[in-house]
Amino acid sequence: MTDKNPDKGFVALLGWSLNAIEAVDRFDRRYVVVAPPWAEDYCRQNDIPFVPWDFDRLNERSHELALTLEDMGVDVAIPIFEETVEWAGAVNAVLLKNPRLLGQAMLFRDKSLMKRRAQLGGIRVGVFEEAHDRGDVIRFLKRVNQTLLKLDGDPNDPIHFKAFDKSGTAGHRVIRTPEDVDNIPDEEFPALLESHLDGWEFAVEAWIKNGKIEFLNISEYVTLGYSVFVPATPELEAHRERITEEIEKLIEVFDIDFGFIHPEYFLTSDNKLYFGEVAYRPPGFNALELIERAYGFNGYQGLVLAFDPKTTQEELDAFFPKEVVDAKGHAGCFGVYPRRRVVSRLQVPEETANHPYFEFHELSDPREQKVAKRSAFGTHWGLAYFFGDNAHDLRDLLKRQEELDYYV
Amino acid sequence: MTLTDASAKDGQTGADDAALVRLASTLDMAIERLERARPFAKSRHQGPVLDVLGRIIAQSGGLGVVRQRAPRMDAAGLFAGSDWDRPEALLPQLVGGTLVSEDPAFQALEAASLARFLAVADGDARHANLHQEGARHFLTQVLALNLRDLFGAPDEAARTLGARHDLKRRVLSHIADHVGLSDVLNVLVTEIWRLLEQRSVQVGVVKDMIAQIAVALNEKGTEPGSTRLGAERLVSALFGPTTASRDDPGLEIYIERISVADESGLSREAMGFARAMHDTGLVSDYHATFLRWALDYDARPLIPEALGLGSTGLDCWRHYRGLIERLVRSAVSPATPQAAYGLAMMLDRGILHHAPMTPALERQLTLGLGGAARERIALGFGPAVPPETYLLAGVLQVLGQPLGVGQGANPTCQSARAIAMWALNDPDYLLHLITQVAEFDTLQMQFEGTPINSADLPAGLAGSGPIDADPVSVLLVAHLDRIYAEMGRLCAGRPGDPHTWINPQFHGWWVSRDCAVAVDVATGKLAGYDDFLRRFFGAYHPEYNGGRPLGHPQPAGIAVTDAQQRFVGWHAIAILRVAEDQSGEMRVYFYNPNNDSGQDWGNGVVVSTSGHGERYGEGSLPFDAFLSRVYLFHDEPLRTQGSQDLPTEAIRAVRDQAIASWAADRQPDD
Repeated sequence: MTDKNPDKGFVALLGWSLNAIEAVDRFDRRYVVVAPPWAEDYCRQNDIPFVPWDFDRLNERSHELALTLEDMGVDVAIPIFEETVEWAGAVNAVLLKNPRLLGQAMLFRDKSLMKRRAQLGGIRVGVFEEAHDRGDVIRFLKRVNQTLLKLDGDPNDPIHFKAFDKSGTAGHRVIRTPEDVDNIPDEEFPALLESHLDGWEFAVEAWIKNGKIEFLNISEYVTLGYSVFVPATPELEAHRERITEEIEKLIEVFDIDFGFIHPEYFLTSDNKLYFGEVAYRPPGFNALELIERAYGFNGYQGLVLAFDPKTTQEELDAFFPKEVVDAKGHAGCFGVYPRRRVVSRLQVPEETANHPYFEFHELSDPREQKVAKRSAFGTHWGLAYFFGDNAHDLRDLLKRQEELDYYV
Repeated sequence: MTLTDASAKDGQTGADDAALVRLASTLDMAIERLERARPFAKSRHQGPVLDVLGRIIAQSGGLGVVRQRAPRMDAAGLFAGSDWDRPEALLPQLVGGTLVSEDPAFQALEAASLARFLAVADGDARHANLHQEGARHFLTQVLALNLRDLFGAPDEAARTLGARHDLKRRVLSHIADHVGLSDVLNVLVTEIWRLLEQRSVQVGVVKDMIAQIAVALNEKGTEPGSTRLGAERLVSALFGPTTASRDDPGLEIYIERISVADESGLSREAMGFARAMHDTGLVSDYHATFLRWALDYDARPLIPEALGLGSTGLDCWRHYRGLIERLVRSAVSPATPQAAYGLAMMLDRGILHHAPMTPALERQLTLGLGGAARERIALGFGPAVPPETYLLAGVLQVLGQPLGVGQGANPTCQSARAIAMWALNDPDYLLHLITQVAEFDTLQMQFEGTPINSADLPAGLAGSGPIDADPVSVLLVAHLDRIYAEMGRLCAGRPGDPHTWINPQFHGWWVSRDCAVAVDVATGKLAGYDDFLRRFFGAYHPEYNGGRPLGHPQPAGIAVTDAQQRFVGWHAIAILRVAEDQSGEMRVYFYNPNNDSGQDWGNGVVVSTSGHGERYGEGSLPFDAFLSRVYLFHDEPLRTQGSQDLPTEAIRAVRDQAIASWAADRQPDD
């Protein structure tokens, strides 16, 4: 453990992430990991400060967790996963004596509430509706396509289905036909339905302190659920000023004083920015690792700075580099799914292995010979990492990966 | 062309290639992450390093890049959590297989590990558990074991491996470039002779090495000289020990040749085989074939000649010819040629004259293997001959070469030692145990009157038992191991070292009932050490025990140290005899179930296996040096005191040696 600075804050990480733990262990803040009891042995063996906790549905025990952490001298809780966002809100409401934080966290956790709040705040959103059963989904699919003046027999424009409380691409389905609707399992309701926006999809990672953006990264999606890279292409970065304004609107509308947000946007062909959703936690798909590769700072340590009430402006200024210009190159990753029905081994495609941008992969060996059919976006089998000078080349390279077999 | 020239062209130096430079910088970045990672997160960052390594080693010149970074990768934790983290425990015979592994990560890991050995061998790096000589020795062994892949034209199996085989070849040449091949053959031949002198039961690895020498000699030739002579002697012992087999004609042609040979020709064949066998301890397939053929040759018995029997063996032959012929017929085959050597040695030990032995061997001849026992033998030795044949061959070898029993790569020194001591001391009891396991898949023993049944016990240290040992061990060790563990459990709560009670109960009445231990079991500190040493002198040293020779082998425990005198672990051995060697130095001759007794225990304590009056399979040390590593021995409760007074200096000298090594941090606090 790195020597800890007793004058700085003491943070609690809510949720189990080795990446996060390791980054914070190397940082100068005292920390404790709050995670399910199965992690206890591991933490004891590796001297990781640990409080066992079951994050099921938020209940009256959140107060108990808050008091436990308060007794330990913890200053603030940092959510690591979607499921712990409201816990962090509840705990921080107590630790920071600010009851509003719980309400704020509930907004982040309910995609429908979140969207309405954004709309009320004057942020542009697509057409959306809540669905409680399959009938709602079919109705929305029909209405959206009627609006688009489609005739019977024309292929439908897709709609998006997102379970209320799932993060990222888990529980995210693209619906085109009534058969797609039949395939939705019951437990994914209630859900948010959205019209499909044709355009450029991207995400933002923003570290916020005192209501001010300290660092704003734009992550450009090549294909949602497959690949992403940072910093974005010059064409997307050209919109940085507008995007920054949009983030400032979010900060105002959601009344965010500190922390980290990860919103998603669409830039449509008519050059309008649509807000998709926002999460108050680190992004999936190892985006923080890409940022570290490109900029050299550790995103989790940045998270600690953004949450810790004892962080000074000097620390922040020293920690965060200057966006885009300080990047050493563009870093991207590709989530690999097996393409064949039956696979027996991992074999990185030769053209990928020989490409100068390819760095390495973290792909697992095929655990099962039979590949489950992808329904929702599902989980990839690991990531392949790329790094290079030219954003366009990187983008094309990531796109190309979709046509290659990593598993044969 | 010399062996060195052959590999120099495959230079792995120039790193001018742009792709390699780029990969090297990617590797550096991945290593940096690994370096930064906390110990608990190492495994997550190992994958990327291995992935990049896998691509680098496929590049020409890549191995040089890897070698430069090997010590750094090691320090960063590339091997953390894997067997490769303990280079001192790695087995050179496994390297070849890993280098052609299907999983590129394993290939990369092995290449990085070898690169680390290279860096240490070159003196470019130091490693806490690996010294320069050790690293060099390891690499030489790796080369020796894989000579075929270094020189030979790829065979069918190698060709199907394609790129994987190419990689292996390049890694081997890279090593050869650095450690030099000129002395590999020399080292290899010396090493083989050193191993052969210990007359292990298991000679698979040695035979493999000799086969590779044969390939190397054939492909590349070598300068004439003593190395070549020694090498050819080995190769001929295996592939053409006699006039009719000199050109390695194949078994069928060989049989044709001897079928038309005259008596003096046959006699010459028999003697040729016997000479080669007793010279090396190795039995050629032609020899096995000859023996079986000789069974049906009525004109004259050729078996005693072909076995090279001495006077005791010949006497056994005259008494028990029928039994011996049946043993040859049932145990000696081209799949089990070594049974012939075991048989010859057994006959010369004269143990057939021990009344229970002939019925026990008759029983062994008709013994059928059942159930799990049968499967285990089949698993360990394959289908070339029935499991019963393997077992019978194994029995003959263990009885003929009791001190050749080895534990394989298993933590079962206790069981291996027991088998060896029974074979030496109580051969019919050993056959009795074999029968129990073969037929009933259980072993029954007693501990101070409490019956123990191995079938009822959970698996011990060895799990379901080794399969990389001799057939008798494969059969028995899993059971012995469980019984040993159970006896340990029954001793729980008794003050002192449990071996005090276990050893006599486990092995037999002939283990002395008193037991001296150098350390206090609870604290691990030395306790009453001077008395302990004094007592050992009184029990074992002929000058202080009234000149009484040791009757039965006695189990003893030693604190094994490495070449730097650091404590490695407790190990079970057996003291066989204490006597003066040719130069008049008093030595302890002992049996070490470890597969290779010749070990360097540091500070000049180097176990000798030949040249100091050792018999086959014995290790020996000067009395003082040996005693300085003993921590437990057995002693008779009733013993006449020797007349000589023990000089205090003798005790102090031994004590100093112990304190300088394994007992460094075990001195009592007071």
